[in-house]
Amino acid sequence: MREIRIEINGSNYTSRISDNLTLLDFIREEAGMSGTKRGCDSGHCGSCTVLLEGRPVYACITLAIQAEGKKVTTVEGLEGDAAGQLHYIQQAFIDHYGIQCGFCTPGMLMVAAALLEEKPLPETEDIKAAISGNLCRCTGYTNIVHSIRMAAEDKLKQEGGDE
Amino acid sequence: MSKYRVVGNSHPGLSVAEIATGRGRYTDDWKLPGMVYGMILRSPFAHAIVKSIDTSEAESVPGVLKILLPWDVPSKRYNCSGNPPSPLLIQDEPILTDHPLHMGDRIAAVAATSRKACREALMQLKVEYEELKPVFDVMKALEKDAPLLHPEIGGSNLVKTMEAAEGNINTGFEESDYIFEEIYETPAIQNVSLEPNGCICDASVPGKMTVISTSQTPFQERRILADLMGLSENNVRIIKPFMGGGFGERQQLHSQPVAALLSRATGRPVKIIHSREEQMTASVVRHSTRIRMKMGVAKEGLIRAMQVEAWYNTGAYATHGPIVVAAGSRKTNYRIPHYEFKGHCVYTNGPVSGAVRGYGNPQITFARESMLNMVAQKLGMDPIALRLKNHVQTGDRLPGTDHPLLSCAVNSCVEKGETLRKAIEEEDMKNNGQQGLSHPEKKAWGVAFCCHTSGPSNREGMSSSIVMVNDDGSVNLLMGSADIGQGSETVLAQIAAEGLGIGLEEISVTAADTATTPYDTGTFASSQTYVGGNAVALAVEDVKKKMIQRLSEIRKLPPSDITFENGRFTVSGPEGLEHLTLKDATKQITFGAGGSIIAGSSSYKAVEAPPPFAVCWAQVAVDMKTLSVRLLNIIEAVDVGNPVNPEKVKAQVHGGVSMGVGYAMMEEIQVDQRTGKQISSDLLHYQTPLSRDMPGIHVCLAEGWEPSGPFGAKSVGELATVPVAAAITNAIAQATGTAITRIPITDAFRPAASPWPKRAATESPAVTSEKEGV
Ligand code: FES
Ligand code: FES
Repeated sequence: MREIRIEINGSNYTSRISDNLTLLDFIREEAGMSGTKRGCDSGHCGSCTVLLEGRPVYACITLAIQAEGKKVTTVEGLEGDAAGQLHYIQQAFIDHYGIQCGFCTPGMLMVAAALLEEKPLPETEDIKAAISGNLCRCTGYTNIVHSIRMAAEDKLKQEGGDE
Repeated sequence: MSKYRVVGNSHPGLSVAEIATGRGRYTDDWKLPGMVYGMILRSPFAHAIVKSIDTSEAESVPGVLKILLPWDVPSKRYNCSGNPPSPLLIQDEPILTDHPLHMGDRIAAVAATSRKACREALMQLKVEYEELKPVFDVMKALEKDAPLLHPEIGGSNLVKTMEAAEGNINTGFEESDYIFEEIYETPAIQNVSLEPNGCICDASVPGKMTVISTSQTPFQERRILADLMGLSENNVRIIKPFMGGGFGERQQLHSQPVAALLSRATGRPVKIIHSREEQMTASVVRHSTRIRMKMGVAKEGLIRAMQVEAWYNTGAYATHGPIVVAAGSRKTNYRIPHYEFKGHCVYTNGPVSGAVRGYGNPQITFARESMLNMVAQKLGMDPIALRLKNHVQTGDRLPGTDHPLLSCAVNSCVEKGETLRKAIEEEDMKNNGQQGLSHPEKKAWGVAFCCHTSGPSNREGMSSSIVMVNDDGSVNLLMGSADIGQGSETVLAQIAAEGLGIGLEEISVTAADTATTPYDTGTFASSQTYVGGNAVALAVEDVKKKMIQRLSEIRKLPPSDITFENGRFTVSGPEGLEHLTLKDATKQITFGAGGSIIAGSSSYKAVEAPPPFAVCWAQVAVDMKTLSVRLLNIIEAVDVGNPVNPEKVKAQVHGGVSMGVGYAMMEEIQVDQRTGKQISSDLLHYQTPLSRDMPGIHVCLAEGWEPSGPFGAKSVGELATVPVAAAITNAIAQATGTAITRIPITDAFRPAASPWPKRAATESPAVTSEKEGV
């Protein structure tokens, strides 16, 4: 047991945990945030994907102590520019039918957020590669890929328009 | 453009914002006060006897509250199927067993204050097993000396043989110029819903129980649990929260009975969530099959006879087995005068089979559509022309069924799909047909047709709905049907909004809670839009009728002077015509003279189960050296009647196609025949399509209209997945000249022994006889 602190979505969470507690359990049980999903608990499905210092990781095979003192972003941490507004990728998933049952959605959103941060206008193949570690059983990935691409296009258009 | 305001216009879904922000609460996201955890000890053997269980060490694990052993639970057997009661649902399943019949069978269970303590306790349970001989193959299971799985039920492993017939099969073959015969094999596959099965059972108040669970069939779950727990149905409440897919899997109860007993024993709410390994080994799979298909065809291409004998591997327990088999017999989309179907449902020590998207249909469709390709090849006919020549049309019946079709837009499917296919080809020709092709690769298209159903094809679908108009004119829609992620709540709300002349944002839905919503048979057989939708439409009519009655009383006019058209009431009073929206009318009724509460309800029993139709094209590139296969494009054109929410229909097809891709290319629950262990026990050893496995998917919606459907709609959910595997294997056959009779092909496809059409009549199982003179 040891006490650790992790910054999740801008707030600090401190907890006494055992060394083998996963980041997923820390987020869901210790921090009490249930947006990050557990599809397999073994690093095979991607539904638990969160950002650790901006990079996507499977929270179920990351130890909480690996995130000690670091910044973690979960789906609850995605925000739009204005208060109460959805993040533009969330909005794109809605507008372009990227959501069915939604169990893969939080993981997909986090991967997409990391991808678009790195590559503002990814090609279809880039998107497919980025989400290739995230299983979705409902969408055949079609509308997820489309949503991510549209998120990128809309964002660029908007930024262009603002200038 | 749709001729309606709400129906026919797409909407992404009523709950998408909750999902996108992580606020949608799925079963594992719920915590009840005092809640503890449960876990199940499962058999590592496919067939064994439990000699003894030593609990002493497990009991001393800190946090352990209760350990249940096979002899602690009611000996009553049940059937976990969420179908309505039927004598075909054989009650052969114990809650816990000392005679495990498959790897993953439930032996013991533990409740503890943490998941960690549960795990620890399971590890400390010392079970002594005696291994017994298992049997995995359906044909071996039917042999005389096979181990008998359920001696309490009968003297053989045959659960039941289901039959269907039409005409006289012998006459049919006599009338045929060619006879084709082949054996086809299809695998057991897992649903792989992304959310594992789970439940929280709270029986802490004596005489009552509340269950939050991943259930597609809350009302059947209530019936089964009430019976097992000795409670009346009013004292059992099943609530379905957000659900991460279902695909048929949750048409069975999994851990609910165990959680219920643990909760009763501990006096605490108990949560059991399956691990992925439990999903793979102890959650229902699609029946693997062996199918002997025999077809008789006249030389001009008319199918005269189709004879099917199929063996469905139902695994260790019957669940829906016989009903799945029978459902497969009613999904042949061709006019075949002489038809015979015999399906044997067989026990083995394999994984328990049950409902999976398509429910007995994908297997038969794979066999039939593969054979039709063979027929087209033999007759030198275009595979589409051959199928259209034989296809049912409006007014025809599907072989083995007795209701004439009220709609069939297969021609529109073909037309739209072919247009799209040609466009893809043309685009490709701009690049000399070599687009995306590496050197020794060859491209080819394959096609397959199918139909499915809208509601149980035995016409047992029932649903009901309540429409409550609030005093501000907004509406609460209550319905029993369960949205499992496909978006049925949205579609049903659209149907209500259309009928009431209001916007979708003015409706709130409460669904699938047995304490607050009315009965629905359940989310299976692609019922929601059609069966649930008709129930909603009827409740809407009821509410309008009641409002007209009240308006007429208030105005002292005969009800016939008030109508509801184009989304509003029209009153023909002495001062001329007056138009009232739902809101206006509500104001007058609720707080107006006399005051009254506005609620309409319905009870709907489906008399039809109209089949939707699909045509699927697959384009593959086969490396002619290694014979590895790449998928390039899949087009699926569907006749779903009038689509209520076109974009969501397309999205259903996308997902259906991906499941079909998995079925054809990679998915299979594998059991090591030597050790009897299931190898496919996680998502590493069981591959499902990932983003890069998917080809381009193109969806066409046919111009269809089903007269018996709500606003002309039929179903889509299961349909989409049914034809895909055969379209893919037919494309590979086209490229390689080798018929494929078994799926999955795996991605390094190797040709079977004899290529076709060179298979001669004499040596061939493919064309067994060819009559003289043709
Ligand atoms: S839950 Fe972490 S990868 Fe599946
Ligand atoms: S939307 Fe259901 S798993 Fe992706």
